[in-house]
Amino acid sequence: MANQEMKPIDTKKIREMLNRKKGKMKRYLSHCAHCSLCAESCFLYTEHNKDPQYMPSYKAIHSLGKLYKKRGKVDRKVLSEIKGIVWRNCVLCGRCYCPIGIHIPSMIAFARSILRSQDVYPQLDEISSESWL
Amino acid sequence: MYDFIRGPLISIAFVIFILGLILQLVQFFKLTQKKEWVYPPLEVKSEKKTVGQWIAFCLTSLNGTLWKTDPLVTIVTSVFHVFLIVVPIFLLGHNILLDQSWGLSLWSLPELITDFLTLVILICVAFFLGRRLFLSRVRVITTAYDYVILLIAAAPFLTGYLAYHQWFNYDTVMTLHILTGEVMLMTIPFTKLGHMLFFFLYRFLIGNEYSFAKGARAW
Repeated sequence: MANQEMKPIDTKKIREMLNRKKGKMKRYLSHCAHCSLCAESCFLYTEHNKDPQYMPSYKAIHSLGKLYKKRGKVDRKVLSEIKGIVWRNCVLCGRCYCPIGIHIPSMIAFARSILRSQDVYPQLDEISSESWL
Repeated sequence: MYDFIRGPLISIAFVIFILGLILQLVQFFKLTQKKEWVYPPLEVKSEKKTVGQWIAFCLTSLNGTLWKTDPLVTIVTSVFHVFLIVVPIFLLGHNILLDQSWGLSLWSLPELITDFLTLVILICVAFFLGRRLFLSRVRVITTAYDYVILLIAAAPFLTGYLAYHQWFNYDTVMTLHILTGEVMLMTIPFTKLGHMLFFFLYRFLIGNEYSFAKGARAW
C-alpha cells in the first residue's frame, strides 16, 4: 500500500490508454441520456436503499467519465476516489441494463485497467477486509 | 436573418443532419469489426408458437424489462420517442411545404390528431423535466447540458404548438419554430441526441446479452 502512495502518477500513460479506446468510450459517455433507468438493474443499488451512488450510470460517469473529462490529468486523490467507485461500488457482475445499449461493464473494466496501470487497486492480501478500500 | 432562417439554413440543416449521420455511421463501422461468432438468439426460434403462446411469451418477456421496474417511464419514453419521429414527418403543414418545394409529400395525419400528439409530446417533456428536477437519482447525474438537450428536443414542438394556435406574434413564433427545428437537426449527429442513431447500432449490431438481434459486430 505504501508503494502505491509513493509512486508518481504517469498522466501520459493514462492519456495514451484513454486515447486508445476513445472512439468507443467517448461515444458511450456522450450517448448516455442520464435517464437513470439502469439503476434498478444493479443489485448494489437496490441493496443500498437505492443510493444513487450505486447506479451504473453514476459509476461510469464518475470514474471513466471523470478521467476523460480531465483528459487523464488526475492526481492520486482522484484515482483513489475512482478506486472506491470501480471496486467497492461495482463488482462487475455485468447485469446492468441500459435501454440505449451502452455497455457499462466495459467502461468500469476499462477504468479499472487505467487504475491498475498506476498501481491503484485494492490489495486484499495486505489489509483487513473491513478497510480494503 | 429572417430570410436566412426560413431559406438557406433549412437546406444547411438537412445537409449537416444527413452528412453528420453518415459520418457517424462510417466512424462506427471503422471502429467496429465483424465478429467471428455471434451471441445465440434470446429465444429458441425453431419452436413454433400459437397466437396465444406468443402473447403469453411476450407478456412473460416483459417481466424482465423496464416495464416491470419502471412502467410509467417505459410508457412515457416510448410514447415520446415514437411521436417525436411520427408527428413532424406526417404533419400536414410540413407535407404541404414539401409539396410546394420539391413536388413530393407523404401521407398526412389530420391536424386535430397532430395537434393533440404535440401536446402529448410536451407533456412527456414536462415529465422528463420533473424527473430531472425532483428525482434524486436523476438529479445526481444531471448537468446543465441535459437541460439544454431537453430544450433542443422540446423547442420545435413547443413553438410549433404555439404557432398552430397562433398564440403570440405568429411570424416570430414561426421563425423560432423553424430555427429550433434546424438547431435540433444539426445537433442530432454530434450530441447526446445521437442516441437516435446509436440506439439501433448498439442494440442491434453490437453483440451482448441485451441485444435485440444477434449482434454481428464488436468494438
